[in-house]
Amino acid sequence: MAAAGGLRSAGWRLWRGRAVVRCQQYPPLRALQASAALRRASDEHRKEPLGSSTQQHFDSPPDGHQPEQKPQGPHPSYTGQGGQESEDYESEEQLQHRILTAALEFVPEHGWTAEAIAEGAKTLGLSVAAAGLFHSDGSELILHFVSECNTKLSELLRKEQKLVQLGEAEKKPLDEFLRDAVEARLRMLIPYIEKWPQALSVLLLPRNIPSSLNLLTSMIDDIWHYAGDQSTDFNWYTRRAVLTGIYNTTELVMMQDSSPGFEDTWRFLENRVADAMTMSNTASQVQSTGEAVVQGLMGAAVTIKNLAGLNQRR
Amino acid sequence: WTLDNWSQNPVIDRILRVDHAGEFGANRIYAGQMAVLGRSSVGPLIQQMWNQEKDHLKKFNELMVAYRVRPTVLLPFWNVAGFVLGAGSALLGKKGAMACTVAVEESISEHYNNQIRTLIEEDPEKYKELLQVIKQFRDDEQEHHDIGLEHDAEAAPAYSVLKTAIQLGCKVAIFLSERI
Repeated sequence: MAAAGGLRSAGWRLWRGRAVVRCQQYPPLRALQASAALRRASDEHRKEPLGSSTQQHFDSPPDGHQPEQKPQGPHPSYTGQGGQESEDYESEEQLQHRILTAALEFVPEHGWTAEAIAEGAKTLGLSVAAAGLFHSDGSELILHFVSECNTKLSELLRKEQKLVQLGEAEKKPLDEFLRDAVEARLRMLIPYIEKWPQALSVLLLPRNIPSSLNLLTSMIDDIWHYAGDQSTDFNWYTRRAVLTGIYNTTELVMMQDSSPGFEDTWRFLENRVADAMTMSNTASQVQSTGEAVVQGLMGAAVTIKNLAGLNQRR
Repeated sequence: WTLDNWSQNPVIDRILRVDHAGEFGANRIYAGQMAVLGRSSVGPLIQQMWNQEKDHLKKFNELMVAYRVRPTVLLPFWNVAGFVLGAGSALLGKKGAMACTVAVEESISEHYNNQIRTLIEEDPEKYKELLQVIKQFRDDEQEHHDIGLEHDAEAAPAYSVLKTAIQLGCKVAIFLSERI
């Protein structure tokens, strides 16, 4: 009995100590206090599991410590999957993930702000101070949202591809495929469209540009991959650049669009995709014309060499 | 300062990108040599080596698509530079062309060996197929190197200068293509 109690308090001290060590990765002091407050608040809600989980932590502190002290930045990466350590205990990244997901439903009301995050934390039964874990401009919330949308789009495209492979659906022509993919992705913005211009400006902050650029490029690459792009030459770049242009301009048009069901936006999208198709046709026509011209010139050169008697076998 | 953050598997990414660029460049070098020496006595030999490079390139194209690897931005540049190197060395004569072949193939063999070492250190089981491919290609390139030597590469004008310059160029090309 006493031993169990002793273990439990030792485990509790380790738990708190770990929270403090991890908090040292977060420069702002209020985040340190917030995280500790958060930890206490969340632990109060875990009654039964507390004894067993702290015991497990005491048993294997090296394993428990190593994953968190990974050399990762203070904020979760949006480029990979969230960390998943042991089952019973949640990583910092997973917890932040849950808070941000919960915060999304408050965005239409509060915007991409710490208020929305605080409200989200409240619905999870966490302390409002949890919002201190994140930047006040809502960067993480927006990046989280974009990452989730991209994941949903990938899922959608993967399912469609599976249907085509099974023969249950027709393979779409390229322009229709691109149109539908971009439209599906942009439709995910509709519930948040009022506050989206604010989000766009935050995404353009120098601090956020690497992450937001990464998310944008991987989304565009995904769309082309499922469209069946197999280019391994410079076309790889041209195609992605063109589609990025189409996506960005359509997104901006959508911000200004007040037509019913955003039909002006979809018409704009259709026209841009058609333009891109025409452009690629023109480009290949120019190339074949160019090749024909070069052939002609080579033929003329050989003829002249023959006439001048220069074309001898060496 | 690489663009590695954008890839799922940075190790494979780099390896495939640089190998693809290398085979593409080798193709263009042989194309340049053929343009000058195509109708000479070494024409058929160069054509044969070129055909093997075409097979290599085809294999890497498939692997690039399978692993969803981004090709290097410098491809248009290697397109021109390779052709110019091939044609330029061929203008020095048959021995010049052979010297160029020896230099390039030696660089490439060494480069493939480095990659084989890296992959074996990482995880030989996981990369088994890729290792097989690279080993096969390394052997092919070594064969080209030996053919070049057999055909009097060393008798080419300014052989050692030529060889050093070309190999330096290859090192730079490899460094850049891995990253950009």
